Amino acid sequence: MKPIRNEKLRRTVRYLVPFVLAPGFVALGITVFHEKRYAFISLCIAVSAVALFATGFDKKRTGSRRLVIVSVLTALSIVGRFIPIFKPVTALTVLTGMYLGAESGFLAGSLTAVLSNFYFGQGPWTPFQMLSWGLLGFLAGILAEPLKRSRVLLFIYGIIAGALYSFIMDVWTVVWYNGDFSIKLYLAALVSAIPYTVSYVVSNVVFLWVFAKPFGEKLTRMHIKYGI
Amino acid sequence: MKALDSFNPLAVFVYFMASAGIAMFSMDPVILLLSMLGAVTLFVIRREGRQTGTHLFSLFLFLTLTVINPLFQHNGRTVLFVLNDNPITLEALLYGADAAAMVVSVLYWFRSFSSIITSDKLLYLFGLLSPKPALMISMALRFVPLFRMQAKRTDMAQRALGKYKEDNAIDFIRMKLSVFSIMVSWALENGIITADSMAARGYGTGRRTCFSPYKFRPQDALLLGLSLMLAGAVGAAMALGGLEFAFYPTVSKISPDFLRLAAYIAYALLSFLPATIEIGDALKWQYLRSRI
Repeated sequence: MKPIRNEKLRRTVRYLVPFVLAPGFVALGITVFHEKRYAFISLCIAVSAVALFATGFDKKRTGSRRLVIVSVLTALSIVGRFIPIFKPVTALTVLTGMYLGAESGFLAGSLTAVLSNFYFGQGPWTPFQMLSWGLLGFLAGILAEPLKRSRVLLFIYGIIAGALYSFIMDVWTVVWYNGDFSIKLYLAALVSAIPYTVSYVVSNVVFLWVFAKPFGEKLTRMHIKYGI
Repeated sequence: MKALDSFNPLAVFVYFMASAGIAMFSMDPVILLLSMLGAVTLFVIRREGRQTGTHLFSLFLFLTLTVINPLFQHNGRTVLFVLNDNPITLEALLYGADAAAMVVSVLYWFRSFSSIITSDKLLYLFGLLSPKPALMISMALRFVPLFRMQAKRTDMAQRALGKYKEDNAIDFIRMKLSVFSIMVSWALENGIITADSMAARGYGTGRRTCFSPYKFRPQDALLLGLSLMLAGAVGAAMALGGLEFAFYPTVSKISPDFLRLAAYIAYALLSFLPATIEIGDALKWQYLRSRI
């Protein structure tokens, strides 16, 4: 089988997703999956959002050095996910976004999600993990300047990121189980996830506290030495 | 029995998206029952992982998810009993069982999916879409064992230096942190060398292709075609309202009209397709062995 011609496909996806696919999924969800339309629409939109980001990264001329460095950081966070309870994944994704740019942050976060799930279990939650970790890395890239300047802001971002990850994932949990969004079930899911949310928040702050300086120094050195 | 492992990843991927997808987005209890039976059969005959543990966990999850719904949802006509001034209804309990069957059967589908679509096959699927993420996936996957090996080496070197006492917890953590720091520096420098080597060998000068050892054989086309056709049939029945099913205020009865029966038959065929492939392959193998 021959690979699809990439340039053309990429351009198609970039225009197809926002103008055709997204409204199409909404229409399909409403007409075909009557009771489960919210679950269907949210899953499809998550997948197409990730695809849209991937094409954006591909289109931009990214040097092979940056590409390899992002893969290195992705591999580090995959290895880090094996640490029990306290996971450095979000912290590493945030640092990638801060020092290598928003798109690299998105790619590192979403690739970590899909690849580490080979060890932790794939499922319909994978696209949502890709999207939420990716967005946390992307936002860190956009807020890079203030986050680099102030450690307090970085810790606040870590806390918000941990909570946000839980909030986004629980929207999916509720919609998947219930077929419809129910605020009562959502609150119950959030409450039952409190131990996890706390562990995310704590590990984000701890790992950002430990890693921010050495990682910043090393990545800045990369920038000065090799011009990435 | 691992017949499905030799199929083209694209066909297998489409199949699992179709079978799990319909289960995920349908509320019809018969569809969910078929999905559960098909998924569990496939999981059992493929003998993946820890069987008893998985089944016990699934049963526990099923029961938990079944009881959660009536605690939060008080619609429905048939009140079973009243808990803290809130009515617990039969309809809400059945809805909970329906949703639980959906979640548990999708989990079973994805267990088999993960064991068939390994990371190298995912690489092939990504390669069809976009070559750069595919390249990054292959590099990241290669770096994971490399980093583990290098971390072990660094760790041994640090121990040999004798700077850290092994029986002192703080010293131990300091050693681990310094190993990690050395690892990160090494990984980044090593990455640059890799990138330069790639550039020297002409990376980025031409159109990138992905190596793929997967051919598209007639049986792959058959699996792909059948998946799309059967899923399309069920989807069409859904779109025409043939599979509508309501739990509130009362559980609707399943009327045996043509559309509904056709959808059930199509989904039953879809659901047991991989189990049939596995069993057929095993029978063929047994037959061939009996002739020796």
